[in-house]
Amino acid sequence: MHHERYPGYHVLDQRGHWDDATRRVVLDRVHNVPPFRHLDAHQQATLIALCARVIPQDWRSAAQRVPIAPWIDATLDTAAHDGFRFDDMPPNREAWLWGLAGLDETARALHGAAFADLDGAAQDVVLETVRAGNPPGDTWQRLPAHRWWIYVALRQITGVYYAHPTAWDEIGFGGPAYPRGYFALNFGQPEPWEVREAPPTRERSAR
Amino acid sequence: MKLHVHLSPDWVLDTDMREYPPREPVDFCIVGSGAGGGVLAERLARYGFSVVVLEAGPWHDSEHDMVSDEAGSGRLYWNDLRITGGTDPLELGANNSGRGVGGSTVHYAAFCPRLHPSDFRVRTLDGVAADWPLSYDELEPYYEQMEREYPVSGPAHWPWGKPHGYPYAPLEAGTAGQMLIAGCVKLGIRVAAGGPVAIPAGAVGKRPHCIMRGFCLLGCKVGAKSSIMVSHIPGAIEHGGEIRTGCMAYEVPVDAAGRAAGVRYFRTLADGQVVEEEQRARAVVVAGYAIETPRLLLNSKSSAFPDGLANSSGLVGKFLMAQAGPVVWGRFPDMIRQYKAPPACASTEAFYETDPRNDFVRGYSLQTVAPLPIAMAHLLTDEDGRFGESLLAAMQDYNHYAAIGVLGEILPDARNYVSIHPTAKDQYGIPTSYVHFNLFENDRRMMRAGIATAKTVLHAAGATETHSVNRYAHLVGTCRMGFTPDDSVLDRWGRTWDVPNLFVCDGSALPTQGSANPALTISALAARTADWLRRAVPAGALDSRPTPATGCAP
Repeated sequence: MHHERYPGYHVLDQRGHWDDATRRVVLDRVHNVPPFRHLDAHQQATLIALCARVIPQDWRSAAQRVPIAPWIDATLDTAAHDGFRFDDMPPNREAWLWGLAGLDETARALHGAAFADLDGAAQDVVLETVRAGNPPGDTWQRLPAHRWWIYVALRQITGVYYAHPTAWDEIGFGGPAYPRGYFALNFGQPEPWEVREAPPTRERSAR
Repeated sequence: MKLHVHLSPDWVLDTDMREYPPREPVDFCIVGSGAGGGVLAERLARYGFSVVVLEAGPWHDSEHDMVSDEAGSGRLYWNDLRITGGTDPLELGANNSGRGVGGSTVHYAAFCPRLHPSDFRVRTLDGVAADWPLSYDELEPYYEQMEREYPVSGPAHWPWGKPHGYPYAPLEAGTAGQMLIAGCVKLGIRVAAGGPVAIPAGAVGKRPHCIMRGFCLLGCKVGAKSSIMVSHIPGAIEHGGEIRTGCMAYEVPVDAAGRAAGVRYFRTLADGQVVEEEQRARAVVVAGYAIETPRLLLNSKSSAFPDGLANSSGLVGKFLMAQAGPVVWGRFPDMIRQYKAPPACASTEAFYETDPRNDFVRGYSLQTVAPLPIAMAHLLTDEDGRFGESLLAAMQDYNHYAAIGVLGEILPDARNYVSIHPTAKDQYGIPTSYVHFNLFENDRRMMRAGIATAKTVLHAAGATETHSVNRYAHLVGTCRMGFTPDDSVLDRWGRTWDVPNLFVCDGSALPTQGSANPALTISALAARTADWLRRAVPAGALDSRPTPATGCAP
């Protein structure tokens, strides 16, 4: 199902060419995943299920999957997540706690079970309903669903995933480039250490 | 105080910085070290004044603090709590703020165009917005100074506004930038490559040339990009100025005569302890940009100034402008690899001026942008809330995208403002700002036209599909300059009408914003104000409040 576009590309192999400060930040992200400290077991299960629908990684082995939920848990003790708060939104911590509760309310209204207990297809129906902006559930009366979906759920989940070298491999991103810099600037050519894109599969051209 | 800060790999600011005791008045206390405050500090110190700059953030050592990593660069931004609202609430944080020595120039893209002469006369020419109390010609010599001092790369002949050339040769473009050029050329739209961008093509002093790593928006580890930290702060220190970091200003106290007495601030010491201090000064300059500057003035209430300092007009915080910055991207069959080379490299100002064929006044520029992976993912999810396989598939096309930023002029409107939030406070306990922003009809029409033009350009360059998401950048206008104490907060030199020794020196002062990134204009205004102060202070001009006669005479 998942077509590998840059076969054999492994940007972490270039870490010897990165500066110390950058290497420390990226390797810390790869190797030191924080433990859950804020969410209870049920909230953790809900968040993990949400992350798995936004960024499906079932085609990877468990060891290869990028952990996302623990990094979101780690943001829950900051009052202002990234410098501002919309005036119709609660602070980041409440936004997550309410949103996870809201997913359960919508899941129960649509499917009669908690979000984490649904199969993937049913979970996607819940998320499509939240995405559309008017999902069933008391929590969504005080938490604007569309704003939560775009600015809390998707921004933060994608922000964690695309910060990871495994995701960089998937999209062919060159990663940190100091102090070496880039040599091949014209016509989208790769650096000597980058990988050419694999030719599109039939499945892809049919899309 | 001993400093040891890398400004580039081989250039360490390794010096004994002079320190001033807070209780003894200095000539100037400046709040903020960015495009306005940093240049003003360098000038005033060079002219022999004693200068203390209060900077809320830290030094960003290029070797040790800056990283080539989107998620690891949060320290560069103003991440204290602010509340944002209105019909089109602005996102603050990362894109629209800076914290640390050099301010937001540390993480700007470094596009440094000038305003056009028409920008100074929008009320006269178009019957909307405001005229400036100065002309383009008065600012021109300071634009020239700043283009040499930053310095700025660009074409030898720049055809828009008042034509001029750039002192450094054009910067090389990556493949993504070449798409804007290709599309414009196909359509017969004039387009310029290689600037104006404050990344000199070539080494400057101890600053090596650009290595094309594409992380300009996360701070330049190379020191090639001209931030105020590398262009002007070293000179400010060399001439005896003090840059006092970790100092968050919360009040400008006034004396019995109604003059600014200094600045009160919370200082975070090396051990994390926070202490309150007051720097006394003979004159105070607020240069905290368009949110923090009005916030500081509005929080500085006293019996003499019950509505906040310098706010007799009621206009402090009013006329907030952001530039419309929709990002328009196209998917190309061929590889682009947009992460290579500085995002800022090519642009066109062919749509900058009012065109009677349009259904709106004023206009927009088109500029290259190049979102890194997280920024790209946010464009995709913002567009339609997509998730799952469709999101992953679209992100796998990352190397096939090239993007154009529309940079459009939003008109000043008193209904867009910064005020003090009734309950919310920051981590110091200081009442924080409420930022209120609405788009109005002219703004919406301009943005629609800009997006349509950018899509046409991308298709002409070969894109097979195009998309757009609205963004906003460059907050200005909240302490506008004007002609009288009734129509503005500041006179033409940036001095407040109400307090004779209080100045504002940042983007807040701009009555209109044009479709030009504001950094160079802010710095040019700072250099001009410094030039005036050099003559005005010895002449006793700060002894009395400005009048329309003194405030408007050149």
